[in-house]
Amino acid sequence: MESEKLIQTLIEQTRQNMNAVENLKELDTGYLNSRLSENSWSILECIEHLNLYGDFYLPALEKNIQKSTTIPSSDFNTGFLGNYFANSMLPKPGSKMKTFKDKDPIYTDLNRAVIDNFINQQIKLLKLIELSRSKNLNSIRIPISITTLIKLKLGDTFRFLINHNIRHIHQIETIKSHLPQVLTHQI
Amino acid sequence: MIDSLRSLSEKTITVNRNQYLKVAGSIDTNIYFIESGSLRIFVLNDDDEQVIRFGYKENLIVALDSFLSNRPSGLFIQAIKKTVVRVINKVQFNALLKDETVKELWIKTLENLIIQQHEREIDLLTSSPKKRYESVMKRSPKLFQEIPEKHIANYLRMSAETLSRLKKS
Repeated sequence: MESEKLIQTLIEQTRQNMNAVENLKELDTGYLNSRLSENSWSILECIEHLNLYGDFYLPALEKNIQKSTTIPSSDFNTGFLGNYFANSMLPKPGSKMKTFKDKDPIYTDLNRAVIDNFINQQIKLLKLIELSRSKNLNSIRIPISITTLIKLKLGDTFRFLINHNIRHIHQIETIKSHLPQVLTHQI
Repeated sequence: MIDSLRSLSEKTITVNRNQYLKVAGSIDTNIYFIESGSLRIFVLNDDDEQVIRFGYKENLIVALDSFLSNRPSGLFIQAIKKTVVRVINKVQFNALLKDETVKELWIKTLENLIIQQHEREIDLLTSSPKKRYESVMKRSPKLFQEIPEKHIANYLRMSAETLSRLKKS
């Protein structure tokens, strides 16, 4: 695919993710902390899970983009593993994933600040995407969070990270559709 | 001009409070006519937001750099409250410009915009917060009815406390 097309898609998806999360600010804290069952995440825990990934990937992206002296290529070719990881993140009915313990925020007593953290991380992500316009999405490689032995192409890392955001924002919509409406408090 | 633009629009977008119509890095060549609500355009200066423009009911709002150059723009456009905009894309707009009368009006509009930007530039270089406040008050008194003070203070490059004090004096 064209690199510029990919960049524009990533920016637009990030805008939509930000907007979905901005909407959560209208809901009260009790609602945001409610869970559907004992072992399932609240809305804030879903967001915090994304923030924990951002805490790992944003600095890794920044470091590798900044030190790179590559020049842009007009096309981005997704890698075999990168494409698999990125696509496996997209929400599909009934697809459960195992959460790594260090990325599991369940019962960590969260407050609304996680929403602002998420938005700030997305603004940072937008900056990094913009910065990547002048670098090579194919040749810069970013290690994944579970092992530095596997590195994905910069373009695939962005796709993976943003699809992961989409996955859990979709989960939040599911939580909202199942929580009792009385808890909803629209300001 | 605005009426003919408005009638071209085939699409409306609703943005809730704090949602983004445009984020930094995107190429946005649309013209937006604001049916209701209000928006602000800001840029990030390091990590600080600097408001550069507002739009409210019956204004047009555009990422002017993208619109004119078809290039990515660093601007954010965010709803201050729930806002409905009509979208006019550049193709529709260019077709409208084939009409000589519309073209003349468009040039007039751009001329006015340059004058406004010129005044804004002088304002920003004016060191006295009081004078900056008075100048904007004179130019767009309606701004103070439509836009919350904290955003106007940012636009005027002063603290909310300073603006509030100036308004009382």
